[in-house]
Amino acid sequence: MREFEYFAPKTVKEALSLLSQYEEEAEIIAGGQSLLVIMRQGLFTPKYLIDVKGISALDYINRDEGKGLRIGALTIHRAIEKSPIIQRHFKVLSEMEGNLATIQTRNWGTIGGNLCHGDPAGDPAPVFIALMAKLKLASLGQERIMEVEEFSKDYLEVALEPNEMLVEIQVPTPPPNTGTAYEKLTVMKGDMGIVGAAVSITLSSEDGVCKDARIALSNASSIPLRVREAERQLIGKVLNDDLLAEAGQVASEEAETTSDVHGSAEYRREMVKVFVRRAARKALERARAG
Amino acid sequence: MAKEEKHSVIGHPMPRVDARAKVTGRAKYAADIELPDMLWGKIKRSPYAHARILNIDTSKAERLPGVKAVTTGKDFGGFRWGWIGTTRDEEPLAVTKVRYMYEGVAAVAAIDEDIAEEACELIEVEYEPLPGLFDPFEAMKEGALLVHEDRPGNITTEYHWNFGDVEKAFAESYLVREDNFKTPRMAKGYIEPPAIVAYWPDTDHLTVWIAKGSPYFPYRILARCFNLPLNKVRVIQPFIGADFGGTKNDMVNGDFAAPMLAKKTGKPVKIVYTQFEELATCLRRHPVWITIKTGVTKDGILNAIQTRLVADGGAYTRMSPLSLYLMGCCMTLPYKLPNFKTDAYCIFTNNPSSAAMRGHGIYHTRFAADVQMDMIAEELGIDPVEIRLRNAIENPEPGEIYHTVNKLTVGSCGVKECIEKVAQAINWQERKEAEKIDGYLAHGVGVAAGAYLSGARLTGHNAAAAVVRICEDGTVNLLTGASDVGQGSDTIMSAIVAEVLGLELKDVEIKRVDTDYTPADPGSFGSRVTVYAGDATKRAAEDAKRQLLKFAAKEFGIKPEAMDIKDKKAFVKADHSKSIPWLKLVKLACYTTPGNVIIGKGVSTRGVGQVPNWETGEEDVGANYSFTAEANEVEVDLETGVVKCTDNSVIAHDCGFPLNPPAVETQVQGGAYHQGVAAALYEEFKMDNGLTTNPNLVDYTRPRAYEAPMTKVIHVITNDPFGPFGAKEASEGSCCTAPPAVINAIHDATGIWIKELPAQPEKVFWALKQL
Ligand SMILES: Cc1cc2nc3c(=O)[nH]c(=O)nc-3n(C[C@H](O)[C@H](O)[C@H](O)COP(=O)(O)OP(=O)(O)OC[C@H]3O[C@@H](n4cnc5c(N)ncnc54)[C@H](O)[C@@H]3O)c2cc1C
Repeated sequence: MREFEYFAPKTVKEALSLLSQYEEEAEIIAGGQSLLVIMRQGLFTPKYLIDVKGISALDYINRDEGKGLRIGALTIHRAIEKSPIIQRHFKVLSEMEGNLATIQTRNWGTIGGNLCHGDPAGDPAPVFIALMAKLKLASLGQERIMEVEEFSKDYLEVALEPNEMLVEIQVPTPPPNTGTAYEKLTVMKGDMGIVGAAVSITLSSEDGVCKDARIALSNASSIPLRVREAERQLIGKVLNDDLLAEAGQVASEEAETTSDVHGSAEYRREMVKVFVRRAARKALERARAG
Repeated sequence: MAKEEKHSVIGHPMPRVDARAKVTGRAKYAADIELPDMLWGKIKRSPYAHARILNIDTSKAERLPGVKAVTTGKDFGGFRWGWIGTTRDEEPLAVTKVRYMYEGVAAVAAIDEDIAEEACELIEVEYEPLPGLFDPFEAMKEGALLVHEDRPGNITTEYHWNFGDVEKAFAESYLVREDNFKTPRMAKGYIEPPAIVAYWPDTDHLTVWIAKGSPYFPYRILARCFNLPLNKVRVIQPFIGADFGGTKNDMVNGDFAAPMLAKKTGKPVKIVYTQFEELATCLRRHPVWITIKTGVTKDGILNAIQTRLVADGGAYTRMSPLSLYLMGCCMTLPYKLPNFKTDAYCIFTNNPSSAAMRGHGIYHTRFAADVQMDMIAEELGIDPVEIRLRNAIENPEPGEIYHTVNKLTVGSCGVKECIEKVAQAINWQERKEAEKIDGYLAHGVGVAAGAYLSGARLTGHNAAAAVVRICEDGTVNLLTGASDVGQGSDTIMSAIVAEVLGLELKDVEIKRVDTDYTPADPGSFGSRVTVYAGDATKRAAEDAKRQLLKFAAKEFGIKPEAMDIKDKKAFVKADHSKSIPWLKLVKLACYTTPGNVIIGKGVSTRGVGQVPNWETGEEDVGANYSFTAEANEVEVDLETGVVKCTDNSVIAHDCGFPLNPPAVETQVQGGAYHQGVAAALYEEFKMDNGLTTNPNLVDYTRPRAYEAPMTKVIHVITNDPFGPFGAKEASEGSCCTAPPAVINAIHDATGIWIKELPAQPEKVFWALKQL
């Protein structure tokens, strides 16, 4: 590994001033679970490394009915998985985390690091997209809010300015009669998904018609992919299994799958059908349960 | 049962003697060795799979501050090495031509690892890229280019054996089937990659700490390489982070580069391979294309098998001749087979070299034969358990021997009992009749049986020896050339000494291999340690005991043979009340004749002498043979093709007599699951023109400890006449039964046949689509 200069700021402000000082030459490291892999491979050689793991102010999980859920960017996966608040109100997040990587990685990797790494195979982003979550990005003296859906730009590329960092994930309280689920294809528990699908369904409390649906895929494009055509198959209809299968079919046409050692593009396309339907069934069941 | 009660140490569960050092992190592995002034070495690797080396310019690297020495293949003066004398086709670092991707062409020693790595990037190598051969069938074609100019046809090794008359037997068969199977390239999967620390304490004396399961391989090879007499090469074996064959018995570029760089600098040099180097360049299991033709009677009794094997041996011969030998010779176990013919080819390509892996050789052909046996059973309407029972070799009566058609000597065979016991344990009948499909999940069960040899008898040196030194306080030191690579042999060797001398396990201290002090031994491979080194150890302990009993006998005025030692007492056999406590006996022996020293010596020659006939494929390749049967249940996701093995999995193992039952069980679980089921379902190196595209443990999928189903292990005890205390090989055979059992279970669940391992989801998915 090439040499670099190392900083370990204790506050967000310190971290942001280092970032504004070194900009492109600096890179944030949180848990290092993704970053160190590419640094060891020599694919990435930052001059300055800003270790934000010690900024305890960004490690929190809060919720209130009005504002919804707030997760600090440095919260580790395991904390989200085990949080009673999340298990109670955002079960899908806890389930998703429970199948993300191994315990060792979940104990050290952060939710912010996962999102900022911009891996289209990542699990949290599609779930947050289905939950209409937003991100709070900060630079020295400034903050902006961005939809998770807007955040990913390309493979391993996100909409962060060189002087910016992610500080918080904001998840609104879902409307009543909403169910959300995430399912991914793995050979073994804890693998990265070969493909995955997050589906959120909101039913009208009067007639049970699907009022809103959001579907986002992991590892089916160069970014976490929202499939709007597939969503349209569901919205405004009384849902049944055929419609869910139809949504899967349409999602697989929208997907931009590619081949790698874990599966061909065609296989992934087939799997998008299966996983959209599986997640949608579960989401629908949950929406019906209220 | 009577046999077990006879023993006070062996046959009883015992903790491993190395467990505490390992779990407390005190055990030192090669990569942990640190010496004052030590340098780090790194290998410069070729970016081509096949290219001529035109020039190597190391000047820029030499000028980098912190670099202490650079070496290239030319420094080795034309030295070549290989598995045996006739297969020396590899250079320590490639000189004129590289034959596989990332082959080493130079190496650097520097004050730290990062500088060594940077220096490697500064070495400029001019290549003339050559077209590559990546498919053995292409390499076999007339006029194909040659990987080695002096090896026509790119043939690494070939065998053509013929026993009985297969043509006649096929003609007389009720059913003849021919099928094609394929096994994949697999990683050996030890956690510790190759590592070495080399140091020259004097200009003519080389010392290395090296992560090898068979330290006497580098001992001989390095002596030749550096022109040193054997008594000036010292190979010290640290703890070994597992060894499943191949690289850990054999050499890698770094094993030559580190001593050369140490010689040039006069300082210790350490080279530790990264996991990438290990996975991308080191020895992997052969991919083998198997055509198998089998003829049976109407009742499913085997008449004849004919096989044609084509294995991709990769760039160098390595130990392929043995791999191919084993693929062929054990086809006659565990079922009675009167006629057998095989044509086997191992072919050079520009892929990384192939070599032994746990389950060596037999895994490939047993997979093909035991899956095909289910195909035959289905065609004939015979139950898979039943067809195996009908064909299984019977356990010879005591004193009798079963000879296979290729003259393997079977003194004990528990395969029938193994098959019966697994069928019972998995509720075979009930499971077969159960509803298979529930929603998108299907369940099925499969069974397979197999055999494995104990103690591959090779050409060359195959003896084993041990020295038992009685310390004057009654404790014992044991020196052997055998090496524990995680299989638990240090515990077994110590236990054998304790058993013979009537001591407790804790009274015996075993030393790890240090070629300056321990007796020469081939190493840990071919399931040889218990049968050969165990035999030697037993003899050494018996020798010490004989010496001690002379002193005891004198006390009672009788012959030493009239006495024995047990439970820390030497006693008169005819009258147990006449006895001397162990400690008193030792003091008598050491002090009554002042300065007396009790050293027991033992040599086992079980593996020596007759070696198999490589031309005809006849004669024993092992001292005896273990047997196994396994039954697995799978769950198949019919929508995705994902297959899981459930916890409902059982293996019965006849290792003769389990010397340490829990060690046999855990080794069998490791073999049956981690290397058996993993081979069936998950593991495969993917290649692209010589490049390994998944050289990391995320993309090369392998199961983790916590998701392993805990295969139930049943011991079948047969007390083999040819092993120490009735023991045979334990657990290597367990890697061979899981793949066919799992593939047969997938068929039971879904109706598809997966003939190319592994049954990864996409393959299963498309096969299901074609139903
Ligand atoms: C074996 C293994 C298995 C895995 N399996 C899965 C899986 O199944 N599903 C899945 O989704 N993920 C998986 N991952 C990825 C894992 O979730 C991420 O590596 C981890 O969450 C990243 O967090 P980190 O804190 O370690 O980030 P780091 O590696 O420290 O950083 C990653 C990137 O994010 C940037 N960054 C980090 N924090 C911030 C911030 N607050 N603001 C701005 N930029 C920031 C860094 O500069 C870097 O570019 C796996 C990883 C491993 C090693």
